[in-house]
Amino acid sequence: MTEDRIDLERRRVFAVGCFGIGAATAGFLAATFRFLVPNVLYEPSRRFDVGPPVDFPPDSATFLPDRRLYVFNSADGFYAISSICTHLGCNVKHIGAGFECPCHGSKFDENGRVISGPAPQPLSWYAISLSPREQLIVDLDQTVGPEFRLRA
Amino acid sequence: MSQTLGQRTASWLNAVGRSVCRIGWPRTDKDRAAAMISSIFLHIHPARVSRHVLRPTATLALGLISGILFLVLSVTGLALMLYYVPYPPESYRSMKDLQFVVTFGIVLRNMHRWSAHAMVAIVFLHMCRVFWTGSYKAPREFNWVVGVMLLILTLALSFTGYLLPWDQLAYWAITVGTNIAAYAPLVGDRLKFLMLGGHVIGPMTLLRFYVLHCVMLPLLMLMLISLHVWRVRKDGLSGADLHLAAPAEEAAGVFPASTKTHGLMALTRRPRASVEARDPNDEVFAWPHLLFRELLVALAVVIVLHVVSLVFMAPLEEMADPTRTPNPAKAPWYFLGLQELVHYSALVGGVIVPTLIVAALVGLPYFDRRKAGIGRWFAPERRFANTTFTALAIIFVGLTIIGTLFRGPNWAWVWPWN
Repeated sequence: MTEDRIDLERRRVFAVGCFGIGAATAGFLAATFRFLVPNVLYEPSRRFDVGPPVDFPPDSATFLPDRRLYVFNSADGFYAISSICTHLGCNVKHIGAGFECPCHGSKFDENGRVISGPAPQPLSWYAISLSPREQLIVDLDQTVGPEFRLRA
Repeated sequence: MSQTLGQRTASWLNAVGRSVCRIGWPRTDKDRAAAMISSIFLHIHPARVSRHVLRPTATLALGLISGILFLVLSVTGLALMLYYVPYPPESYRSMKDLQFVVTFGIVLRNMHRWSAHAMVAIVFLHMCRVFWTGSYKAPREFNWVVGVMLLILTLALSFTGYLLPWDQLAYWAITVGTNIAAYAPLVGDRLKFLMLGGHVIGPMTLLRFYVLHCVMLPLLMLMLISLHVWRVRKDGLSGADLHLAAPAEEAAGVFPASTKTHGLMALTRRPRASVEARDPNDEVFAWPHLLFRELLVALAVVIVLHVVSLVFMAPLEEMADPTRTPNPAKAPWYFLGLQELVHYSALVGGVIVPTLIVAALVGLPYFDRRKAGIGRWFAPERRFANTTFTALAIIFVGLTIIGTLFRGPNWAWVWPWN
């Protein structure tokens, strides 16, 4: 009888030990997964200046290919619309008053709203501000609505 | 002192040879069996195989060809790694070097490229063959699932390799492909971030794809191929047992099928040891009958690949330019069926349809459990299953052809001959 109890006790200790080792292994695996997520991105900054307002003539649309961005200077102010198609990430072209995507034929109106095609969402609008040194600053982490205008 | 020096040298060389390969060149049937059993590499085959499954029409050798292509891809890929630098823009320059500077670099690159395309096609055809012969049914259900994993791995290997040249074709195909992945519910955006190693395709993405393509996925593939082939060897090829000798024929054979001599080393729990269902009169030795055929197929594949690689150049466009989207921007051809669907709805084409396809393929052998028609091409008992599968396969191939040939700028319809 006592031997049986010792045997049971031994099994319990063994089970707890196995559970502990298993939990530790799971923890290491989770840590390894976290390892895959980079902490520092060697990418262009998501907040940048695009030059002084005088670079953008009145009533114009300027495409900044490096930033994948259109900057508009309209009668009521400046605004910026992303050129990244919300469908699969191709660059849209400013054609006529609206935008067209070359990949899957999505069409957008002059405010980036979807007219036709597979794009699920309107083009992103980003906030523009004026820096103390009179430079236009675009912040890709700050999206705004199509009523946004910067008076400069 | 009775032996000459020549005889003693020959005997010494023979001993050296036997230390490497104990059987030597097999000259008797016993040695032919021993040669297969005693070698770690040849042991992936049984010592004897049914002569019926050796007929070319039994399998069309599609699985074998897939395996050969994997070997060719490993060898050419390792060679290319000696010149390729996985960091932009050197990655693109090393591609140019391979094309114009390195001796035979262009042939190796072409061969790697065309073998990769061929492998996707052949693996797909192999799957069709297994379906049309009903070979996924018990006891081979799980091996079909392994096959589905191998199909997905083949696509993943091809897709990760697609980015490496770092040209416009590569950059935009991966842009479209990774954005399709981003449509996955809940985890989509995180998945894309993890795949790219950032928000945009850059050096981090290239390095990740490179390591996946050259190390992680091939290792996984090698393990799964071993499992796949091992299970084929254990279960036998479907259709072999259709030809078991009838009792009248049995008497005429060398030994009656029911009294095959084999040692039963232990009582196993497995319901059918594979020896039980086999008729020794119906079998031939794997050496040379199977090995010779395999060698022949391998030679044919390598010759075809060489000819194709000498005639057709692998594409290399301008260097990747994130600011300029080519029109139209297309994913790799084997994803163009999906891209055609994505053109109508990204969620349907990018998430729902691929998920349904994989789920249906994995679940198939567990839901279709009828025993009829195993091991025969287009068995009448399986008319419904075969018709459904063929219809779906034709739709998918049709969408792929439309996406590849009939779609021009802005994904508008064009005629390929215009």
